[in-house]
Amino acid sequence: MASDWFVFALAASAVAIVVFGLIVFPLVRWRRRPGDGEPAQFRNNYPLEIGWTAVPLVIVAGLFAYTYRAEARVDAVSADPAVVVNVSAYRWGWRFAYRGGPTVGGSSDAPPIFGERASPPQLVLPLGETTRINLTALDVNHGFWVPDFLFKRDAIAGETTSFDLDPDKLGTFLGRCSSFCGLEHARMIFTVRVVTPSAFSQWERARS
Amino acid sequence: MGKSSLVSATAVNPIGDVRRSDLLSWITTTDHKRIGILYLLTSLAYFGIAGILAMLIRTQLARPENTFVTSHEYAQLFTLHGTAMIFLFVAPFALGLANFLIPLQIGAADMAFPRLNATSYWLFFFGGLVVFLGAATNEGAAASGWSAYPPLSEIKVSTGLGQDLWIVGVFLVSVATILTSINFVTTVFIYRAPGMTMWRIPIFTWEMVATSLLIFMAFPSLAATLLLLFVDRHFGGHAFDPAYGGDPVLWQHLFWFFGHPEVYVMILPYFGVISEIIPVFSRKPIFGYTGLVLAAFAIAGLSMGVWAHHMFTTGFVNNPFFSFVSFLIAVPTGVKFFNWIATMWRGSITFETPMLFAIGFLLNFLIGGITGVMISSPPIDYQAHDSYFVVAHFHYVLGGGSLFAIFAALFFWWPKMFGVKLNERLGTWCFWLLFIGFNVTFLPMHFMGIFGMPRRVFTYAAGGPLPILNLIATCGSYVMCVGVLLFVYNAIVSARARDPVPNDPWGANSLEWWTTSPPPEHNFDSLPPIRSERPVYDAR
Repeated sequence: MASDWFVFALAASAVAIVVFGLIVFPLVRWRRRPGDGEPAQFRNNYPLEIGWTAVPLVIVAGLFAYTYRAEARVDAVSADPAVVVNVSAYRWGWRFAYRGGPTVGGSSDAPPIFGERASPPQLVLPLGETTRINLTALDVNHGFWVPDFLFKRDAIAGETTSFDLDPDKLGTFLGRCSSFCGLEHARMIFTVRVVTPSAFSQWERARS
Repeated sequence: MGKSSLVSATAVNPIGDVRRSDLLSWITTTDHKRIGILYLLTSLAYFGIAGILAMLIRTQLARPENTFVTSHEYAQLFTLHGTAMIFLFVAPFALGLANFLIPLQIGAADMAFPRLNATSYWLFFFGGLVVFLGAATNEGAAASGWSAYPPLSEIKVSTGLGQDLWIVGVFLVSVATILTSINFVTTVFIYRAPGMTMWRIPIFTWEMVATSLLIFMAFPSLAATLLLLFVDRHFGGHAFDPAYGGDPVLWQHLFWFFGHPEVYVMILPYFGVISEIIPVFSRKPIFGYTGLVLAAFAIAGLSMGVWAHHMFTTGFVNNPFFSFVSFLIAVPTGVKFFNWIATMWRGSITFETPMLFAIGFLLNFLIGGITGVMISSPPIDYQAHDSYFVVAHFHYVLGGGSLFAIFAALFFWWPKMFGVKLNERLGTWCFWLLFIGFNVTFLPMHFMGIFGMPRRVFTYAAGGPLPILNLIATCGSYVMCVGVLLFVYNAIVSARARDPVPNDPWGANSLEWWTTSPPPEHNFDSLPPIRSERPVYDAR
């Protein structure tokens, strides 16, 4: 989620600025000047060393605690999803089979490839409702990625993996294969169209 | 500098003499210094090839919908680029440097097993050739990425001989690496000079001990996994083929069980390089010697337990566990950073080329380390994984980190290896071109990834922010290319100048600076008393 990225970007920037300053400061302050003698030859400061081990430990513990909760939120699956779609990825296209509904996209028996570039297969989702995706790959590994959802899941050949999508804004979004799968990997795209629940029911009836 | 007392009376052996000596003696050599130099020059040659491949990649991506190369050619380019940079350059360069340095740093005459050492080098040399030879086969070189995930790399899909040559070549390199690591550990444990206790060996040598232990644990997994894939392809193994009950996820486990420790095999030696260089140009002892050593082993230990953070998006691993251990690695890495900063603190700092590259390492690696912590978090990784964000991250670690340490090492130890100093003025230019070029190339890639550009794509659509970001990155890569060429030019003009260098041109501290530049075949005519990790400083 965007808020997770915000938290991590903020923490990353803060650490980067502090350490960047700690690196650059001595370079300016203690650059060698004419007539300088040998500097003090100190080699240890145990309290300091314990401190700079402990402080990062606390920071990463905090980040992990945040991560643990965020992941539970992102990975949560509903016991009762409103829509179930079996998604099959193949070289180089997508098939979206709605349980008790239509099937969109091609099949591996009839490889579509270039023709789909102009009109890639479309995954239609109802706004504000939970859609269960059961994802698999039919030949080699692929990846189901919708950058606007800040989410991807690998499609592994011979395995099925499940996750929920809960779209919260209307619109059409680009989806694509994220795991290198051969020649047309770059153009293995699909679109996701999020519509209101009533429009979704209409669409589903019209396609069935 | 007041180091004239350290210039030995024995004849200095400048680089020209190397050229005159006959080829056969180099091919048959078991001298650790010559093997080290062969390793270094071979890995630099492979770096040159991998760099040219990178320029072709960036040229193709300069514009959207570009047709400079085809999709299949592009897949070969990024497969060979990654394979060469990782297996044939960044890791072997460290082995070459360690080959040259370890016996000198501990006051030994050679490695423990000189013939085994030569065997390692030649396995590496031919392994690299075998990988590249794939490009001369009918269907071209391997094209399934440096991580060669099955089923893509299985024979049903990757039918060409190139994939087989890739397996065999990388296997040879992995055997070479395992043999070398045995050699390093034995040498350090058995062949130290009198007085050189374990707690007095230089940090670089310590880092190579930790690296060697990592190689022991990780590389056998790689070698076995490669053989399994070969059996799958040619002898009906089906280990990774789901059509016959095989498991593609198994490959990911076995590969990354090697692959993540490999990241630390490619960085710990360079932590060592930085730990040698910063004290010299700060004119202070390394701060927190014990802490640095313990941190190296903490990193090595933790790195064995993080492999599945490459698999967060599979949905088949315990994400919180691997996330937690990955976060933890930031702690010992942070300890090292603070030790380097404390070494510079209240020092007397000068900015010769090795120090410039060491500072470049600190600044770049800081960014790579921080983005590494970010993607240790699965909810962040769900977006970053397999995107240009990850491409940016690992190039900041291995390019901005390891590569800058490699240049630091080259400028620092070049006089010791070849008896000539590289030109400082050209070196400073080389640094700035590489530093600016590197950041212009790779900083935009973070944003490309967040905006949805997957890695390993040969093209992308016009429109949106991707075209301009890619164009900026390509411009930066050309600047880097000029920087690398300037280094080659520097090496040539410096060799021609043939100014002899003293034993210790930098005012450095460890034993390799006690002997002549370059050292005689037996390394030392005499040794100073060894009472700290800075015997040359103590004798000064």
